[in-house]
Amino acid sequence: MLFVPVYIIFIPIFTALVIYLFKNRYINYLALIAQAAITILLVLYHYAYTGNYENTLFYFGDWHTAGISLVNDEISEAFLFLSVFSWWMVLLYTFEKGKTDHHFLFFLMFLQGVFLGLLQSNDLFNLFVFLELTTIIVTILIAYKKTGDSFRAGIYYLLINTSGVLMFLIGIILLYNTFGTINIQYISTAIHVYGEETAVLFAYVLMMGGIAVKSAFFPVFTWLPKAHGVSASAISALLSGLVVKGGLYLFIRMNEMFAGANINYTEFFYWVGALTAVVGVMFALSQKDMKQVLAYHTISQIGIVMMGLSSLHDSAMFYGGLLHIFNHALFKSLLFLGAGIIIKAYKSKKVGEIRGVMRTMPFVSVFMIVGMLSITGAPFFNGFISKSIIKYGIIDSGIKYWILFVVNIGTATSFIKLSQIFFGKKTMTIRLKAVPQRVTMMTLAFACVVLGNFYIQIGEGFFGLPLQQITVTEWAAFFDYALALSIGLLFYKLVIEPDYKPVRYIRNFKMSFETANYLFVVFLVVMSVYFIVL
Amino acid sequence: MDPLLTFIVILVGMYGLSTSKNIIKSVFSVTIMESGVILLFLNLGNTEGGSIPIVSRASEVIADPLPQALMITTIVIGSTVTALALMLCIKVFHHYGTVEWREILARGGGK
Repeated sequence: MLFVPVYIIFIPIFTALVIYLFKNRYINYLALIAQAAITILLVLYHYAYTGNYENTLFYFGDWHTAGISLVNDEISEAFLFLSVFSWWMVLLYTFEKGKTDHHFLFFLMFLQGVFLGLLQSNDLFNLFVFLELTTIIVTILIAYKKTGDSFRAGIYYLLINTSGVLMFLIGIILLYNTFGTINIQYISTAIHVYGEETAVLFAYVLMMGGIAVKSAFFPVFTWLPKAHGVSASAISALLSGLVVKGGLYLFIRMNEMFAGANINYTEFFYWVGALTAVVGVMFALSQKDMKQVLAYHTISQIGIVMMGLSSLHDSAMFYGGLLHIFNHALFKSLLFLGAGIIIKAYKSKKVGEIRGVMRTMPFVSVFMIVGMLSITGAPFFNGFISKSIIKYGIIDSGIKYWILFVVNIGTATSFIKLSQIFFGKKTMTIRLKAVPQRVTMMTLAFACVVLGNFYIQIGEGFFGLPLQQITVTEWAAFFDYALALSIGLLFYKLVIEPDYKPVRYIRNFKMSFETANYLFVVFLVVMSVYFIVL
Repeated sequence: MDPLLTFIVILVGMYGLSTSKNIIKSVFSVTIMESGVILLFLNLGNTEGGSIPIVSRASEVIADPLPQALMITTIVIGSTVTALALMLCIKVFHHYGTVEWREILARGGGK
């Protein structure tokens, strides 16, 4: 049982290699077998170690201060289950009998192994290696469509993320120079000794800078809509739903590590999250491309997650942010997969050109509507639960609450715009034979509804968190949602639909690569001033 | 060499990244930054007058072996990144006919 973390890293990687070596139509089924094996191993591992996670610590070759080691706790195990689930969905969605592309499967399975390693790693250098490997493989997956746009998005992603990860590496070097070890647990027990040193604070700033690039915080988010908007829909679902959460997971882990260092990050990262959310919604409102809208909404949802996560550990708001990561993974994958089917059928990405989806594809439309209700935070759907937890955390603090409300209105507006595709006459007859694609969408929609209704049991089971204070059948919740929806409808009719000049200006706003990097440097300087000088 | 000097190399790389308007130059800037990081770690791990950390050592003082082991990995990853970036560069050039960031934006490659 102790070796399960190693197995679940290497089973996907070896499967990928075998698939790539043999390249025949039967070997593709090996991917499904390997995925089933990982799932079974993970479930066994969960039952073997629940409650005594300190026993999961595993050192390679017994090198304690400098070697590779793996460890799991509640949070990382929940992430492991989420990622295996997401990979199941994407595998089933893209799997065609005997026709699946071997190269694609190779990169997909390889990325799974690397990502599972990133979640379990207990030493900083290993973390860096897995981060950089994810960057490289994700670049290849972004450029996989082989259009000019995807190549450009790929190189943009690769260069800006590599510079971010290099900042992370400098942080690791400074920590090694101070503590003489790269083991996260050893550093976290010794961090209070050097908690005031400039080197440690500077390491914190640089590591947070790297994480900011990886998970698209406010000034350095420009790579995300490019990358997630141009790649194939299944890849977008995986990247938006899960891989971008790798950065947020690191944010949790690194703040756990620096917990003893007397760094007060709550206020700073709350405002970074709020800015991310507002700017993401602003850009999403102006877009006309369906996938760009969804990609910008990933940014705004990351902002909402950050509002929750920036709060102190073990507070309800922190768990609200954590829960929102999971909910967002479900509904954003659902929306991207549905958008993929619609775009393929209509051969257009423009929201204005697609009409009558409800009559043409009733199944897909129902699932898309479930996803839209979830992302806008309707009662009885999963987005409502996590947004409510975050809302209860800041309901007394005036402007912080209003920012969340404005973001909710923006989200409602932009999904009212997106829902225009459902109305209208039937324009074509489409015979969807793809059963696996329907099954994946149905599973995701089902998960959204289940999480929205049985949240009390799930919250206690996974996080040990009492969620009784959130009641779905509360009039205030309905009222809030109806208010956001009606203001959103007004805003859509009056401002967005006429397409005024500011909206057009935001839509045509493009940021060049060197400007994005300049903003990254500015962000690092601002963080240094905030955390070291002040 | 002073470890602070290596920070200058890293800063040169960052300056290049945030000013150069050419994809190739951006790739080179990342490479320069990476060299700076590697030099920084090797410098910090270096012991004055220490010998190499293998069995038949000449003096009693030996250098810290960990930075060297880690930096080999970093060099390998860096070369992979450079190769991939240059390959994408060629592909971008084939599709747009230019490797200037701003011209690609102007030719509709912003999405």
